[in-house]
Amino acid sequence: MTHKKQFDSPPRRVALFVTCMVDMLYPEVGMATVELLERHGVEVVFPAEQTCCGQPAFNSGFWEEARPLARRFVDIFEPLVRQKQVDAVVAPSGSCTTMTSHFYQLLLENEPAYRERAAFLGAATFELTEFLVDVLGVTDVGARFDGRLTYHACCHLLRELGIDRQPRALLDAVEGADLVAMTGADECCGFGGLFAIKNGGISTAMGQRKAQNIAKSDADAVALCDVSCMTHINGLLSREGQRCRAVHIAQVLTNQVDVAARPASDEVAPESKAAPRRWQDDKVKG
Amino acid sequence: MSARDEILDRIRTILSRPELSFPPVEAPPLTADERMTVTHAEGDAAALARRFGQELEKLYGSYEILSSAIEVRLALINRLTDWAAEEDAARKGPKPETFGQERMVLSWAPAQLPIDGLAEALADMQWQLVAPDKLTSPEALEKVRFVRFGVTGVEAAFASTGSMLVVSGPGTNRSASLLPFRHIALIPFSRLYATMEAWLTERRAAGELVDLLRTRAGWNMITGPSKSADIEMNLTLGVHGPKYVHAILFDDTRPVISEAERAEIARLMALDDDE
Amino acid sequence: MTTSTIDLTLPYKTRVQDALGNKHLRTALDRSTGRMAGQRVAAMTAVDGQLLRDQVRQMKEHVIRNLPDLLEELERTITANGGHVHWAKEGVDVQRLVVEIARKANVQKVVKAKSMATEEVHLNQALQSAGMKVVETDLGEYIIQLAGEPPSHIVAPVIHRRVEEIAEVFQRELDMPPTLDPQVICSVARGALRKEFLSADMGISGCNFAIAETGTCCIVTNEGNGRMSSTLPRVYVVVMGIEKLVPTVEDAFLQYQALCRSATGQQCSVYLSMTNGPRRPGDTDGPEEFHVILLDNGRVDMLAKEYGEALCCLRCGACLNVCPVYREIGGHAYGSTYSGPIGAVISPSIHLEVTDVDKLPYASSLCGACREACPAKIDLPRMLLELRRDVVEEGDAPLFDRQSMQAFSFAMGSRGRYEAAGKLGSLGSNVFAGMSGGNIKFMPGPLAAWTSSRDFPPLAKRSFREQWKERQRGRKSIGEGKKEE
Repeated sequence: MTHKKQFDSPPRRVALFVTCMVDMLYPEVGMATVELLERHGVEVVFPAEQTCCGQPAFNSGFWEEARPLARRFVDIFEPLVRQKQVDAVVAPSGSCTTMTSHFYQLLLENEPAYRERAAFLGAATFELTEFLVDVLGVTDVGARFDGRLTYHACCHLLRELGIDRQPRALLDAVEGADLVAMTGADECCGFGGLFAIKNGGISTAMGQRKAQNIAKSDADAVALCDVSCMTHINGLLSREGQRCRAVHIAQVLTNQVDVAARPASDEVAPESKAAPRRWQDDKVKG
Repeated sequence: MSARDEILDRIRTILSRPELSFPPVEAPPLTADERMTVTHAEGDAAALARRFGQELEKLYGSYEILSSAIEVRLALINRLTDWAAEEDAARKGPKPETFGQERMVLSWAPAQLPIDGLAEALADMQWQLVAPDKLTSPEALEKVRFVRFGVTGVEAAFASTGSMLVVSGPGTNRSASLLPFRHIALIPFSRLYATMEAWLTERRAAGELVDLLRTRAGWNMITGPSKSADIEMNLTLGVHGPKYVHAILFDDTRPVISEAERAEIARLMALDDDE
Repeated sequence: MTTSTIDLTLPYKTRVQDALGNKHLRTALDRSTGRMAGQRVAAMTAVDGQLLRDQVRQMKEHVIRNLPDLLEELERTITANGGHVHWAKEGVDVQRLVVEIARKANVQKVVKAKSMATEEVHLNQALQSAGMKVVETDLGEYIIQLAGEPPSHIVAPVIHRRVEEIAEVFQRELDMPPTLDPQVICSVARGALRKEFLSADMGISGCNFAIAETGTCCIVTNEGNGRMSSTLPRVYVVVMGIEKLVPTVEDAFLQYQALCRSATGQQCSVYLSMTNGPRRPGDTDGPEEFHVILLDNGRVDMLAKEYGEALCCLRCGACLNVCPVYREIGGHAYGSTYSGPIGAVISPSIHLEVTDVDKLPYASSLCGACREACPAKIDLPRMLLELRRDVVEEGDAPLFDRQSMQAFSFAMGSRGRYEAAGKLGSLGSNVFAGMSGGNIKFMPGPLAAWTSSRDFPPLAKRSFREQWKERQRGRKSIGEGKKEE
């Protein structure tokens, strides 16, 4: 697809494409992303005009409704890169990166000017782990996690962007983490945007399969790179009363994983309340 | 306008659209130079024979390798005898009516088999080689319906996949490798190729591939015994075609009798004359 | 069979509900799909699978680009081989042609090898209406014919049934003694079907690929029923889609291996049966009449509507086996002859009567596993996205979807509206969350489709942008300021 931008010298400044879900639901993931970037000497700017990339509309066939959002996104981010105010755009999401760097090419097919600008922007847009590992050359960010950790490969990240080695390398370097394998780690969790609503029954069945595999892995946490899938997986884990939770990789890498502070952790089935709460035993508080 | 012309015209019209996103305008054919060989096999004829056998065995077939053509007749008889005994031993109920077909072996015409004198050798052991001229009516098929064993040669065999190519023609019926419960293929080393691609390349280079295919009506590449996984992915064998496939591979590349053996025979015969 | 099957004519929603609620179906799917997917991966990684896929793709692109010429070449070669070529624009044309051929040859009994093309045009029903007996001879197809069901998978038609249910059908229909041994079930079928083969007048099969340069029609089978059907009856009829062509013999053997590896994880199927016309003078056996019917039935529309990439499909079923949606609901819930991702893509174009066909492109989470498995590298997720666009553009999307997407686009169209929506959402969601103590257990309206089975987190009390603003107070940053309202 797009050929990624090559850097002659290490990038100094990036624009954060925080994504609307992180902005509204998981600001801590956004903060963790900023922390990781700054810790490695990269200045972060946040274009406050950004809203949503339009994927929910695009994904469900409403391309007419998605186009203004795509053009808007290009108008906000592309000049920053074009005018060299930033070296790159970074997003803590494989799916939103896919939308802006791949699917805009399809969506803006009949608008050559925007399409070209979107392609230029797409080449300079990186998913967080890709940026850390491939661009900054970092795998050990000095994180620590005492417990069993597994990884769920989100679909767009894995199969549209081809990113898999990068997040795994970052997790490999987390001190104290006991990395455990999960059956079907690269199988869809059943989120799929509006699919989760329009085909709620199938989506739930897929999610339950994922939740079973997570339970079988006996992990304390499932790291992943998209908060959308995280929301879906946690929605099922919480409803089923499982102790394990899905967490964004940026949270793991900044030692933020502290489920006791999360509202979701209050929602454990009564019978498991007596059992040791692995999340509360977490010794890695930042 | 005929349906044919309507369909073809419409495709041509669509393909002439400059903005058509698929197929690409530049769509070159796959050339012989770039086309891959999918599975490889290497070595001399004996090594290829072993590889063929191993591949066939993985698929629940069986094989034996003989160092000369002379041994084939005995090997075939042994195989038939063993199989007949096996069937007798495995039978639970009373012996089914076989209408005199119990000792029959459905075969290609003897002249088409890679070994001479097979019919006679089998007859000595009360096996009857049957090679009907016609198997095109229900009545003709009825006459071989209960035959349990089939014998054929091969047009070619491919070591890397354990596959054999059989072809219809005068004296080479399609039924002998299809209808019986057990099939024995006689495969001389001279017809054994490393891969199917090697065979194709050789025939193409000789300029005869297209004609060879077109002059015969029915080709079959057979790789192992008939099987199905339709029932919950459980392997079942012998669904319609043979449940047992046995390959007898033999070295036909050396003279049947070596010079030394020939000299020895001549010496012994000379002794006879003296007596 | 004891459990009810899914009625293909019911609305999509009901079909899916029926599938999800059918425990036996889901057990059967669970037992089979994962295993088939695993076998494919093993077979494609044992060789240079990437190169194999690239080459198949290149070859298929060449075929579609040169389709008219290759079809004409095939027609020439088949005719020269002594066969007859017929063209069918629609399914009913196939029905008419085959019935005519059968009547002329005084056919009473027809044996069929598994074929999606004849399934697509409902050929069996047409022949039966014309007074002929039609016997499906693939073991899986035979089972579902006895049970009165359509197939639910391209290569494994009875994948939706457990062995217990299959045994029950055989006990009822064929007086088989009670057993769950697949080998016994198989030999009962062998005996019953052998009688049919030996007395059939006509054999019908599909065509996995036909070779243009030689006029060879190839079928790929494991059981041998394809060989029987193309060898024993007097008349042999092949029904093939117009796209199922390869230019050369070598191309055929390449595609054959890609097909076997992708479909069942085999290096080679047990039989590759290649027919070049009727039997020749001097032949002992083989059909005396050979017909090939070339079928359009919407395939050209596919090309016209920019879904021509789907014509590269080898019908291997790999995309079904890896599809997490297919794995949960099976083939019948799609309501079409063709199920799974490829079915969702081609069913709207193929001239089939499918209830709620515009729902099929949405029966995917767009996870992309299908594209990864496809031996012809068909970009199925992209086509599903484009089909969804078509549904919306043709005005077939539900009103609620349209209104909410318009509202969504409007809300996201300016920073002010976005932030206001966020604030409202945060307040609202925290009310819902407050009611259930932390996570949202209930949401109103269509969103209940989420919360009926899954929790949802409340929106953050302070969004990232609010936290960021505080953090940056006093600092000047590039993205801001300039665009500040």
